[in-house]
Amino acid sequence: MDRAFRALVERTFGDLLTGPVRQRNDETEMRIRPGDVPQVMRTLHDDPRLRFEYLGDLAGVDTGTDFQVVYHLWSVVTPDWLRVVADGIPRDQPRIPSITFLWKGAEWMEREAYDMFGLVFEGNRDLRRIYLPDDFVSFPLRKDFHLPDDASRSPGGGVRPMEDAATPADAAATTVRRTAKSR
Amino acid sequence: MTAPTRPSLDDPSLTIPLEHAGIFEPIPLARTERQQEFYGLRDGEMLLNMGPQHPSTHGVLRVVLKISGEQVVDLDPVLGYLHRGVEKIAENSDFHHIISQLDPLEYISSLFCEWSPVMSFEKLLDVQVPRRAEYIRVLTGELNRIASHMLFMGWYALDLGGITPILWSFAERDEIVEILAAITGAKLLFNYFRIGGVNGDLNHEFMSRLGDWMSRAGAQLEAGMGLLNENEIFVRRARGLGVLDRETALRMCATGPNLRASGVPFDIRRAHPYSVYPELEFEVPTRREGDSLARYLLRMDEVRQSLRIIDQCLHQMPDGPVMARLPRLLRPRPGRAYSAVEGPRGQYSCYAISDGTDQPFRLRIHDPSFLHLQLVGLLMPGNLIADTMAIMASLDPVMGGVDK
Repeated sequence: MDRAFRALVERTFGDLLTGPVRQRNDETEMRIRPGDVPQVMRTLHDDPRLRFEYLGDLAGVDTGTDFQVVYHLWSVVTPDWLRVVADGIPRDQPRIPSITFLWKGAEWMEREAYDMFGLVFEGNRDLRRIYLPDDFVSFPLRKDFHLPDDASRSPGGGVRPMEDAATPADAAATTVRRTAKSR
Repeated sequence: MTAPTRPSLDDPSLTIPLEHAGIFEPIPLARTERQQEFYGLRDGEMLLNMGPQHPSTHGVLRVVLKISGEQVVDLDPVLGYLHRGVEKIAENSDFHHIISQLDPLEYISSLFCEWSPVMSFEKLLDVQVPRRAEYIRVLTGELNRIASHMLFMGWYALDLGGITPILWSFAERDEIVEILAAITGAKLLFNYFRIGGVNGDLNHEFMSRLGDWMSRAGAQLEAGMGLLNENEIFVRRARGLGVLDRETALRMCATGPNLRASGVPFDIRRAHPYSVYPELEFEVPTRREGDSLARYLLRMDEVRQSLRIIDQCLHQMPDGPVMARLPRLLRPRPGRAYSAVEGPRGQYSCYAISDGTDQPFRLRIHDPSFLHLQLVGLLMPGNLIADTMAIMASLDPVMGGVDK
């Protein structure tokens, strides 16, 4: 844990943080609003005190109530991994700015998050499905997508309500049987 | 009696409209900016389908090439033929079970696919792994790295049209795989790492085979590499092909040997040390050219470093248990953990979220091959069709990991 780095993050971002900067093991975690992603990422990437040039991972997360996009970054200035969590993305409007203007390589990772969660990354110029066929209409890693063997217990009795909808915005709300206790 | 007239294919009224002119299947409706750019053909351009059953796509991959004459203008990889939704599977299986599910991701270096999730689960559980187990992990991991790089050498030569190197590299790989089978019980999908340690201690067969192999490995590997390193046909073919510069490599999230061949000395074993790597002595080879030849030579340099690490592991191997004491049913406290390891292809990382039950709430698997395949689209334009596989093979993607 790098305490000095936590202070640096708090000093640099101040009001942009939506929660306390947490540290555990070799990770530092900061939380921001999805709309602030381009600004925060640009600062992290360009600021000579931070220099986060290496994007380790981009992951979508469904907490059961809303979505998160989680970025992991590496820099020479700290021995910790930096985790940036853009949380509170609503289920009915899952939109978040893309970071392909900084890391072009995030394009496919954003496509994957779109494919699995239906997250719409604004500014990604190739936002289409990557693993699943183009005519697939539901998003399998969402918590209201039940695996076929539990389908009989799902509210639709074997039919996933999301499969009637062509866009995430049209998807009917379904029961989520498991939500994150820690967000 | 006159034969029924058949419409001539030269008849302009029978020309297939552009939106259905695909060879393999109709061109998809252009939904995105990139699709519009790719599927809009200019004068003299055509689409050529490669795969999904092409022999040198390293798995099941379909690539749509846009060509002008023999020159590739652009390409669009189509993924998903091996997709099995392993992240969803992981959310529905318990922590011990997941390890065996993750093995087939990168079937060539499966120990590394186990290593990063196991590390992140240990972080969630706050488990201290015994030192002997860490040394065994490094030892077997580095053996696996050599096996993977030797296979790369053989396949790369095969993709460029040379048969001999793969016979040599398989001789080495066979021996390593037998050594690993002596300790793990499997030759390909090892399922050897456990949360809190490894599945079995070193045994006599493993040690005697390994000692035997190590006594001649250096000379034998050098002889195998000599087939290509000093081969003028190979060197002239690979030099200057698919050049990736430093800035682009970082911007494209390249990792591992492909990043280091472009001059970035980034190796997670040194940049973000884990396990017992801080106690071991080795170099991080770097090259500046960034072409296919540099990527090949860099992997061969890594093989030499791995031999050094194995040697040190055998000398420094401590005594003690190989498993931490843990309950059978694991219920980590709610929390999040991220861990990354340096595999033969780059960064394998894993982001695990626990909600207090015996199954992870979310398990994100990050695979280097996925990002390296994305690079092909950047490196290809301007090269010839025959170079597609030459460049793709030099980036060394494995489709099992790409498709998850």
